[in-house]
Amino acid sequence: MSTQPYLRLVARASDVVSGGPVDFEVLFERYSGYVASLAARLLGSGDSDLDDVVQDVFWLAARRIGKIPDLIQARGWLATVTTRVVRRRLLRRRFRALFHAGPRPIDVPASGATAEEHAVLARLYQVLEELPTDIRLAWSLRYLEGESLEAVAAACGCSLSTAKRRIGAAKNEIDKVFRDA
Amino acid sequence: MPERKWESLGKKVEPAWGPERDRLVRVGIARRAQRRRVAMYAGASVVALAVVAEGTYAFVSVRGTHARADVASVSTPVAPLSAPVATVIVTHLSPETILEPMPDHGGRGFVLRSGGARFIVSHDAEHPFVVVAGDVMIEDLGTTFTAQYPSADRLDVSVEEGHVTVHARGADTEIAAGTVRQFAVSSPALAIDKPSRAPTAPATSSWRPLAENGRYEEAHTALKNAGPNAVRDETADLLLAADAARLSGYPAEAVPYLERVVRAHSGDPRSSLASFTLGRVLLDELGRPREAADAFARARSAGGPLAEDALAREVEAASRAGDTARSRDLAREYQMLYPRGRRAKAVSRFGGLD
Repeated sequence: MSTQPYLRLVARASDVVSGGPVDFEVLFERYSGYVASLAARLLGSGDSDLDDVVQDVFWLAARRIGKIPDLIQARGWLATVTTRVVRRRLLRRRFRALFHAGPRPIDVPASGATAEEHAVLARLYQVLEELPTDIRLAWSLRYLEGESLEAVAAACGCSLSTAKRRIGAAKNEIDKVFRDA
Repeated sequence: MPERKWESLGKKVEPAWGPERDRLVRVGIARRAQRRRVAMYAGASVVALAVVAEGTYAFVSVRGTHARADVASVSTPVAPLSAPVATVIVTHLSPETILEPMPDHGGRGFVLRSGGARFIVSHDAEHPFVVVAGDVMIEDLGTTFTAQYPSADRLDVSVEEGHVTVHARGADTEIAAGTVRQFAVSSPALAIDKPSRAPTAPATSSWRPLAENGRYEEAHTALKNAGPNAVRDETADLLLAADAARLSGYPAEAVPYLERVVRAHSGDPRSSLASFTLGRVLLDELGRPREAADAFARARSAGGPLAEDALAREVEAASRAGDTARSRDLAREYQMLYPRGRRAKAVSRFGGLD
């Protein structure tokens, strides 16, 4: 006999039934924190970039609010847009790095992490900084954000097999560094 | 390293995101919407001028009667450009603005308690957008409008596009685009008193409009040049000066302004916002967690919508200050007050309750 409670998580009825146009204020109130957290994990450092990313994402949402069918699907839509906005920012950051003498300091916004976890995160983002941006984003979405492979493919705008290949490539590089961890 | 370990590490990457940053993002979006509208109107004007010029040329060269009809028909594509860019966009017009969302209105209802705000609203017959200011209620009919208290007992309603209906003293008044009407507010929800004494004339006031328009770096420079008398001892002015300092990269200079609001204007409803902002500056930007914890404690003691965030940040500040007993007690208090709180995970972590 199963010991699992006979319960499952379902969306709030209002979310499912609403079906109509999504209200921008409700969308912002519900998801601004999510977009900020996702962007923080994808960017790794640069807390000052977060406000710009969140603003860019919701500016697009405001203009395309009619294309978001409901609040549940809004999360996936926002994840895709956030990934694209962060991708542009990472590419720009990489381009700017060409003109700097030393590497940028890694300052991961993880105030709740222990000193050891801080050190691991800093090293991880150092490795990620050296990876191609698309590969970095796919791995970060899969392992730092905990998204499914299908969701990673959707957010990165690539096929499932490409997403798997990118994640695998990143994993190989990261495993080389953290083999003994 | 196992994959699950990465995910749990990833969950620890959490930015310090709160209502203040939400507000700044909203302001930025509203500004972009405004710029876009201006650009579209400018583009439309250029197109209209070109069409008129072409029509005039056709009229002169052909001398026929059809040229006028051509002008009219080509001009019509300009109309869709005035369509709203979002369902609801709200811009606070001054730091003293207090605008609270109405429960059960799904983001389409606000109570204006002080200051003023501009609303860009697309009409939805099933979910009318309303703004309540004292005993005056403004209902939109698809529009861009501004509601502002020029004094504690008056409310200005200015309509830029579309029209609104204002319910005041049992009568309905419809206001069309390009019109400004003033209404008496007999029971304002919260009257922000003007200073009783005449304000001292500042050495120069050029920093103020710069800061109000979000040009904080220029405002900070102007403020420095203007000297110590440039900031009036009023809550709005002090908060604006603090914004100019911290948002232009000088957080330490924002501290005296915020402390002044907290100490000398503690009766002002905005003093809790000042305390909260002070806590954020001390904790996130100046690395002074012990003082930050006290500032967050003051912010939450005032209650209101900031109380939950202030308590959560107080737990974090106490933890960072090494005061584990205080952070644990506060974390337990948070769990009791907000069992499904938005910051429950972070609070448990900082309070050592994991």
